[in-house]
Amino acid sequence: MAIIHDDAGRRRFLSQAVMGFGLLFGMGTLALRFVQFLVPRPKPRRYDAVLIGAESKVPLGEALSMELGGHKIMVLRSDEGVAAFSRRCTDLGCLVSWSKEREEFVCPCHQGRFDKTGKNIAGPPPRPLDRFDVVKRGGQLYVNIQNG
Amino acid sequence: MGSVASPTQATTADGPVQKNWIDYIQKDLPEHLDWWPYTLGAIPLTLFGILVATGLMLTFYYVPSPEKAYESVDQITNGVYLGWFIRGLHKFSVDLMILFVLFHVIRVFVTRAYRTPGELKWVSGSVVLFVTLAMGFTGYSLVYDNVSYWGMTVVTNMLGTIPIVGTPLMYLLRGGEEVSGGTLLRLYDLHTKLLPALLGGLVLGHVLVVRILGFAEVKGSRGFHPFYPEHTMMMGAVAIGLLVLLTDLVMIFPPGLGPPANPQEVASDVSPPWYFSAAYMWITLLPAPLSLWSLLGGAGLFVVYPFVDRMLSQRGWPMAVVNALVGTVAVGVFAGLMLLDLWM
Repeated sequence: MAIIHDDAGRRRFLSQAVMGFGLLFGMGTLALRFVQFLVPRPKPRRYDAVLIGAESKVPLGEALSMELGGHKIMVLRSDEGVAAFSRRCTDLGCLVSWSKEREEFVCPCHQGRFDKTGKNIAGPPPRPLDRFDVVKRGGQLYVNIQNG
Repeated sequence: MGSVASPTQATTADGPVQKNWIDYIQKDLPEHLDWWPYTLGAIPLTLFGILVATGLMLTFYYVPSPEKAYESVDQITNGVYLGWFIRGLHKFSVDLMILFVLFHVIRVFVTRAYRTPGELKWVSGSVVLFVTLAMGFTGYSLVYDNVSYWGMTVVTNMLGTIPIVGTPLMYLLRGGEEVSGGTLLRLYDLHTKLLPALLGGLVLGHVLVVRILGFAEVKGSRGFHPFYPEHTMMMGAVAIGLLVLLTDLVMIFPPGLGPPANPQEVASDVSPPWYFSAAYMWITLLPAPLSLWSLLGGAGLFVVYPFVDRMLSQRGWPMAVVNALVGTVAVGVFAGLMLLDLWM
């Protein structure tokens, strides 16, 4: 009974290996499609420069919070001019609020703090707050939310 | 188990008689198992049953949409007959389940019960622990009060910081870029369908593995502690005591409800439930990548601990002492971080 099919064994092994890989590849591709089904596509951003109003409406040393095109934003007017920051804390995505007394953005989730230029100065946030360009056209302020 | 003589297994001159199902139930346990901490695994099992039952009942009223979720929880708590009690049972059972899973883990760790043949018991048990924690997270997100909402934001963001797989994983869980109604629906599905099925299977598997593999041998311990009726009685008594405690806890501390979710304003106290507060403090105190990696690394080390033990004891480490030390430090750090979270 003991017939040694050396070549046949090798051939069979190779063919089975190729079949196996093919099967795995096919199944993997299919599985990937299922994952794609579950992971939603990001929505396209439509807005560009959004009018927020006259510069004089933003009081000095105060930050106005607003929502523009899905971005939660804080517009701060300080001695250095008007700047728009994303309210999303760069640590874990809680919303920062402006503390007028300390002149800092404060995140309540992990006590992260940012100064008035958006720089991270305390707590776990790894980088400064995201900034949006503020464009001034004829006394009116526009926030360019494209680069969020 | 191997060398242990089992009086319930009848043998004849022809060899062992075919086992009846009762023999599996009446399987003898090593003598040291009459120490009551060895019944700690039965408590989470009991609580899991309560969680499934009360959870099913809650789904009759709960609506997983951002407009209705909070309102429906409010209705369950304040409108439906005994709704507060069912929700309270569900809530406290989670707390106690996690607490007793942790006690069970500590008991297994300190007595080194994960040693051969227990590796699979430990690994399957640690997955049970992680899935239970995931159930806790998805569960408290469903309430959709302000703490829930921002908890979802923070936890999904944390997953997003894992390299490569993090961002797709975050999108997968959120169902979009932001925490939204889609996120709530996904967490609802996870909490009421996928994870319970997974947890049920894992718990069943874990119990079966424990029954089949048996227990690590302890020197001087002989197998004269029958599973039925002695051990079952003890587990039953402990479980009934637990039910009484649970009922009392719900009556004394009926479940409350925070202010509804507000995507514009972060909850003033975003502290997670106690079982996440240590991890929460950990990520607060340590810089971002380090804290996450140490948590993931710690979890990984936890899963493979039986193999670490085997490796180190082969090199002559006194593992009983090491474990007592590691266990004390781990529990101390956990409790310390929890206290710190309470203060802050």
